[in-house]
Amino acid sequence: MGIIECKEICKNFGEKVALDHVSVEVPKGQIFGLLGPNGAGKTTLIRIINRITIPNGGEVLFDGRPITQRDVEKIGYLPEERGLYRKMEVGDQAMYLAQLKGMSAAEARAALKEWFVRFGIQDWWKKKVEELSKGMAQKVQFITTVVHKPSLMILDEPFSGFDPVNAELIRKEILRLKDEGATIILSTHNMESVEELCDSIALINKSRLVITGGVDEIRRQHGNNNIELVYTGDRAVESQADCFTVLSDVDNAGRHTAVLGLASGVTANAALSALLGEGLAINSFKELLPRMNDIFIKLVTEEA
Amino acid sequence: MNFRTVKTVIAREYLTKVKKKSFLLTTFLVPVLIAAAIVVMSLIMTQTGERKQNVAVIDQSGFVLPYLTDNKANTYLDFSTEDPESFKQRLDEFKMDVLVVVSPLDTVAKTVSVQAYSKKPLGVDFSSEVSAKVDDAVEAYRIDSYGIENLSQIMKDVKSNVRVTEYTLDDSGNETVSESGIYMAVSMVLGIFIFMFITMFGGMVMSSVIEEKSSRVVEVLISSAKATELMFGKIIGVALVALTQFLLWIVLTLVIVGVVGGIIGLDSLKNMDPQQMAQVSQMSGMDPSQLESLGVAVDTAAVAAPAGEMDVVVTTLANIPWVTLIVSFFIFFILGYLLYASLFAAIGSAVENEADTQQLQLPLTIPLMVAYMIVFVAFRNPDGGLAFWGSMIPFTSPIVMLARIPYGVPMWQLVLSIVLLFLTFVACAWVSAKIYKVGILMFGKKSTFKDLWKWLKQN
Repeated sequence: MGIIECKEICKNFGEKVALDHVSVEVPKGQIFGLLGPNGAGKTTLIRIINRITIPNGGEVLFDGRPITQRDVEKIGYLPEERGLYRKMEVGDQAMYLAQLKGMSAAEARAALKEWFVRFGIQDWWKKKVEELSKGMAQKVQFITTVVHKPSLMILDEPFSGFDPVNAELIRKEILRLKDEGATIILSTHNMESVEELCDSIALINKSRLVITGGVDEIRRQHGNNNIELVYTGDRAVESQADCFTVLSDVDNAGRHTAVLGLASGVTANAALSALLGEGLAINSFKELLPRMNDIFIKLVTEEA
Repeated sequence: MNFRTVKTVIAREYLTKVKKKSFLLTTFLVPVLIAAAIVVMSLIMTQTGERKQNVAVIDQSGFVLPYLTDNKANTYLDFSTEDPESFKQRLDEFKMDVLVVVSPLDTVAKTVSVQAYSKKPLGVDFSSEVSAKVDDAVEAYRIDSYGIENLSQIMKDVKSNVRVTEYTLDDSGNETVSESGIYMAVSMVLGIFIFMFITMFGGMVMSSVIEEKSSRVVEVLISSAKATELMFGKIIGVALVALTQFLLWIVLTLVIVGVVGGIIGLDSLKNMDPQQMAQVSQMSGMDPSQLESLGVAVDTAAVAAPAGEMDVVVTTLANIPWVTLIVSFFIFFILGYLLYASLFAAIGSAVENEADTQQLQLPLTIPLMVAYMIVFVAFRNPDGGLAFWGSMIPFTSPIVMLARIPYGVPMWQLVLSIVLLFLTFVACAWVSAKIYKVGILMFGKKSTFKDLWKWLKQN
């Protein structure tokens, strides 16, 4: 059972349809990628999960029950359009946001101090936000999103605005929070981080759900049954009818990297035994999965 | 609504506003300015005529000069033998400030003409003083010219100056002496105050909404609290700021006036004679002609009334229904503020920066301005149609009703006005909350009334 189940969600703003019967299930304890081009309806779906926007149809279940305002306290939301009060001190501000999420003042203070130490920003407590750089403000914002130990975090483009060092820090924190049992919905355009972090995804395009499922499963589904073969030899491998065709072969001073397209019905094992018969020195043989980036572009443009 | 959340929102709104430099500045500067105005005014009053003017008189009529008697401000010196044209150039040589030339008597019209020349422009007081004195001279001449014995005594006896003493009757038939000028001053001050406060604190709510929207903090907030909780928390928070500020203003003004008064002996203010009172009222920015046109000739009343005038003022002040007034002030301020603040919040939610508010604000500032203008009409006829309807229609009632209260308002009107105001507030708050909910998440495009209407229908 997923922590969040969206069932047949519909939402329209006047004439414009933002979501059209979208059903998504977010498995507990996973990092779930919510993908889609700009204007696809991701933000609307996130706002519906947060109960900021009320859907025209369908329902959202939280832990199997219809979601209530109390459940929203267990969600941490980092919106894409984010900001802090510029004239307010960092500490006061973080305290305010934590208390809005239902923490008592004492709880909030203790938890925040801990996070400030973890991020090495204890001296910022009394600083005004306008004195901070954009990246510094983003760190504070991340803390305010997770300080109340939400069981579900919704992070919209969490890495934007960070330098590589801080992006890595945030990435590690996300993984650590996952290890502690939190579920994370990650909305991003960065497909590398999707491959690296996400367990499963949903792709929305033009208000509709295009695909949802585990990342590996989707990559395999969209694979063309290609194999990457690295071998050493003085001649290039040749296509074998009924078994595989050589799609490309790059010869780097005797060390070849080739892409083989398997014929339909041929397993990787069969291809491997055929290759062994060729008398090549095989360095590596691996299934070639398509990049998420390519799948994304393919699915979105196919629809158009 | 979750009251814990609303309380958190109120606390933030209140604390950040109260800690602001601008809040501290206005809180401390306003009483200082009020106190300074009072002190300066009383100093001017008690120390008029700090420098005497030397007035050269060329009297070609031969009978006016004796009437130009010296007083605190002016010393009149006779230069009747000089030629006016050449003397004009030589004022400094004789250390004269003003030259007054009285023409020879016009025997047909039985009058004279008077010109005054000076290097610096003359005050109103000077010309009215000279005019009054020359009038006396001319009148005496005319009386004499009739050749009737004892005519001047007869004229004096005939002269009349009847003053209307106003009484207010209460239900049991008791009568109390009253002075409409005082009512007017009190009701004007109240009307203006409530107008200022509604505009000021309503505007504060609006900028606070805009701040959250333009800094983009709003989307984080809205995921933790409901739009209505945010809106009402903000409105209540600012209301508490307003009440804090009132309280501090009252206390600080009293303290400063007390302390300064103790040091420089402000008791003189209480001993001011009625004429000076009239001058105070002029200096405090009331245009005498305007007062007269309203049928409340404050200064003539004050001048004409001998001793006992201050008693009337005191009695009148004592007769103003203070308890009703203060209770009403708070009820109307709070309800009027809530009504306008909720609408200001809705408008703030529709824009991303303060500059875009002007057009959308218009439907709010117009009724406020109209109410402000009705206040000035309300003096002439506090129970007239305009004043009555102005004090019933909820968008003007907080301001107009307050201005009417010093004159006494029937209880049913007060209650009706409050009930109408409250119901309108509830309706407007409901509409505002709907607009606010959608508005705060709309970015990038300048909103119009059409958009607001669309948002209202959307949910």
